[in-house]
Amino acid sequence: MRRRTRALAVLVAAGLVAPLAACGPGDDGTPVLTWYINPDNGGQADIAASCTDAADGAYRIETQLLPRDAASQREQLARRLAAKDSSIDIMSLDPVFIAEFAEADFLAPVPDDVADATTKDVVQGAIDASSWKDELVAIPFWANTQLLWYRSSVAEAAGLDMSKPVTWEQIMQAAQDQDKLLAVQGAKAESLTVWINALVEGAGGHIIDNPEAPADEVELGLDTDAGRAAAQIIGDIGTSGVGGAGLPSEDEPASLTVFQGDRGSFMVNWPFVWSSTQGAVEAGSLDQSLLDDIGWALYPQTVEGSDARPPYGGISLGIGAFGKHTDLAYEAAQCIVSPDNQAEYFVTNGNPAASIEAYEDPDVQKAFPMYDVIRDSLDQAAPRPQTPFYNEVSTGLQQTWYPPADVNPDSTPPASTEFITAVLQGERLL
Amino acid sequence: MGSVLSTRAKVWWAVITVVVLVGALFPVVSIFMTSFKASSDINSGTFLPPRWSTENYEQILASGGSAQELFLSALRNSIGISLIATVIAVVLATLCAYAIARLDFPGKRLILTTALGVSIFPVVSIVTPLFNLWRNIGLYDTWPGLIIPYLSLTLPISIWTLSAFFRQIPWELEQAAQVDGATPWQAFRKAIVPLAAPGVFTTALIAFFIAWNDFVYGISLTSTSAARPVPAALAFFTGASYFEEPTGAISAAAVVVTIPVVVLVVLFQRQIVSGLTQGAVKG
Amino acid sequence: MNAQTGPAAEPPTHGRHAAPSTTEDRPTDRAPRDDARRGAPDAEARAARSDRARAEARLGWYLAGPAFVVMLAVTLYPILQAVYDSLFNYKLTAPDDRSFVGLNNYVVILTDPVWWQALWVTLLITVITVAIELVLGFALALVMHRAIKRLRGLLRTAILVPYGIITVVSAFAWFYAFDITSGYVNHWFDWVPGIGPDLNWFAQQGTSLVVIIASEVWKTTPFISLLLLAGLAQVPGDLEEAAKVDGATAWQRFARVIVPNMKAAILVAVLFRALDAFRIFDNVFIMTNGANGTEVLSLLAYRTSIGQLQIGMGSAISVLLFLCVVLICFVAIKLFKVDLAGARGEK
Repeated sequence: MRRRTRALAVLVAAGLVAPLAACGPGDDGTPVLTWYINPDNGGQADIAASCTDAADGAYRIETQLLPRDAASQREQLARRLAAKDSSIDIMSLDPVFIAEFAEADFLAPVPDDVADATTKDVVQGAIDASSWKDELVAIPFWANTQLLWYRSSVAEAAGLDMSKPVTWEQIMQAAQDQDKLLAVQGAKAESLTVWINALVEGAGGHIIDNPEAPADEVELGLDTDAGRAAAQIIGDIGTSGVGGAGLPSEDEPASLTVFQGDRGSFMVNWPFVWSSTQGAVEAGSLDQSLLDDIGWALYPQTVEGSDARPPYGGISLGIGAFGKHTDLAYEAAQCIVSPDNQAEYFVTNGNPAASIEAYEDPDVQKAFPMYDVIRDSLDQAAPRPQTPFYNEVSTGLQQTWYPPADVNPDSTPPASTEFITAVLQGERLL
Repeated sequence: MGSVLSTRAKVWWAVITVVVLVGALFPVVSIFMTSFKASSDINSGTFLPPRWSTENYEQILASGGSAQELFLSALRNSIGISLIATVIAVVLATLCAYAIARLDFPGKRLILTTALGVSIFPVVSIVTPLFNLWRNIGLYDTWPGLIIPYLSLTLPISIWTLSAFFRQIPWELEQAAQVDGATPWQAFRKAIVPLAAPGVFTTALIAFFIAWNDFVYGISLTSTSAARPVPAALAFFTGASYFEEPTGAISAAAVVVTIPVVVLVVLFQRQIVSGLTQGAVKG
Repeated sequence: MNAQTGPAAEPPTHGRHAAPSTTEDRPTDRAPRDDARRGAPDAEARAARSDRARAEARLGWYLAGPAFVVMLAVTLYPILQAVYDSLFNYKLTAPDDRSFVGLNNYVVILTDPVWWQALWVTLLITVITVAIELVLGFALALVMHRAIKRLRGLLRTAILVPYGIITVVSAFAWFYAFDITSGYVNHWFDWVPGIGPDLNWFAQQGTSLVVIIASEVWKTTPFISLLLLAGLAQVPGDLEEAAKVDGATAWQRFARVIVPNMKAAILVAVLFRALDAFRIFDNVFIMTNGANGTEVLSLLAYRTSIGQLQIGMGSAISVLLFLCVVLICFVAIKLFKVDLAGARGEK
């Protein structure tokens, strides 16, 4: 049967692939580098084009689109890399999956000179997120962080001094008193893990105490004071109704809609909300007065008095270990992450740069008046656990810390610890 | 039911027709309306677009549109893969159904039972091993990598539909024509082909719908625009920025891929219904 | 998800009573009995006939063989492979750690509430959708059956539109209509108690399932109604006429004449639709992706094997899913005496 399938497969394949191959790579002998990009507003494709021009025939970069959410991006890449696919040259990687890919030897080692060049004048969070076991395994490209966005009118009415750090407690109270909605990401998705991690880290804890451990020795830091503090905040927002009815399905864009609405007050979200709101005002669907009312500050504190640890996101470039031109791919990656490109990408696509230099760019400063807060936030930001089992841990958290109204400081931390541990030991399904 | 209807019956039929039309078409109209909303009006919460905008269609169809390449390559894949899977299935099924309808041989029942079994097979059950095998032999993310599993969807129903069609063909006509002096080929072409063709065409139509509808294989066995079909590609659409919902673009793409379905249904409703109910060649 | 696949196989045969056949009306796979039935009078003739029968059999298999082999190759081989893979602890991102674990994967699955929850939700969706579709489908079948000529084309076209539409498109259409940020349903129906601008349909199990089932019903009812339409054609018109003359009401005619006469068709339609509904994937994947207790078996299998790349565990779930389908079939055929052979005209 097997031989039969294969024979048939080969036959059909020969007939079908042959005509298609014509539009494939290398008509003129120029090495083609395939760059798997996460969806954006065309910025990465533009960079690919300009680096292709700059390479002057040394290579050509072609882009392939990955799905929208991080988990599916990982799925697509891991599937191909597990097959030792040589067509993956450059990957736009969400930092949370870097550890897993590095551990599985999916990433080509970074040459020393490249490592030196691409970590100079780069925010520390981005370097940390691109490293595994103290070695740089991917190239920092852009770095993202969440800010606290607020409606000045609401903050003023609540008597909050937004020039000083505020706590979750305070903004919840302020929103509740004025019958407003707090915009956070309560949907069962990666954004929920982002939120949990920021809260736990903000209370001085960690989701995983020993992220480099093998699966059966991973120790979770959830059943601690920090974990309980995080659960308290999520549970309170869920049960008090201050998150609104949309909370259990609220992701980043949905949060923005809530924030822009009549009952908007505070929101934690990535900087894309700024360009997006500006665009809506220009298109005439939102009022200029709304834009004028929006303020920004550092992420709220979990515990009063201790520094917040804002979420860290962004994209690093991984070079596929099985590609035919890894040296060229690293050359191309260096071109892609040049400070100029990062600044340009920041302005056009709203994704903050990892390079400190890019923040000095006047265009960046004009497009993002909150550039200094973003840079400070990146300095304070805490990455999500860097473990090869990130997918299990994150999905496990999303199963147990959801919906927000069911999160309870007494039961959720131990229950999630037990569940995730069992999953890691292969005793439970996800 | 006589040809003269009482007024009451007329009213009843009018009501029934309206109810059926609304029920059957409403979701289509709904996504049609969404597809014409400007991105800033997506959350307007209204059924009709506050302003009619074609920006979503520009995004997927106009050159330079952010999802144009994604959508058009998916469209090409979907059409190509579904057509090839349909043709292969119909050719194999025609031979098979001819044998079942006209010849007597042991194992006939086994074949029909197998077709039945394959048609109720849970697709998800075989997607994992196929994924693994395809990775190893290089069929992952290729057209044949989808065409072959699509046969498991299109072949059984083609065999069933065609056997039923062929059983109703009065094959004596062929002999009669030969008696009248036609060569076997002429007899076949003049007497049988006109009777069999509608059945084959209807079967192809039904098989195409099935292949066109596939989602599980599409998302599991592809990973680039080299083979990704439309239903799978919809999950890859993106809004104006990384985080924005692609509601408008998805709706526009959904409308575009629904148009051919509606056209086919309007043109061939009679054949599809008879293909799915009686397999009768009513002409 | 392939609403059309299964059941369609069956209906074509309903109306074929009058179909003439140049060969045996009652084919069988046992050649000797064939010979016996032909009742050859003497040895020579019998030999000649069996020669001809052999040639016919050979030709039959030449023609039907390729289709048969392809069908087996695309299903039998993968499921056997899945059975084999399910005995290993095998994760694609850690291929070196692959180890034989026997039936342990099955033990883990069957002792895990996640499996039972998904099974329960799948069964719930199956039972509810099939029940609703049976009623709606019957109504539509009667409408198509009785419609006057002028309306027939229009009605059939309308009913066929959902049949032809991609399930994923249907899922998005329903999702966007009900979604709390982009939808209008909450605004339209806020006079209904329990529905208002604050109702988040996709935040809890009950309401999520309502929308999922609605989309599933919309998309697949046309199909079941076509099966039933085929059954309706089998009901002898004179019986109904006679009941009418005897003064039976419309309902009595329906319950006493129509339904009993198409019992076989109804059972087959229900079985096929049930098996199809049991595989539900697309609607759930698009609308909730399994959140809020809406995970179904197909989605669980997909997430485990394709999503988490746990080939071993995923294969085990796939095999169990397959066994569930076989079990349903078995129960239907043995317990409810669903006569597939009869329905497909093989008797």
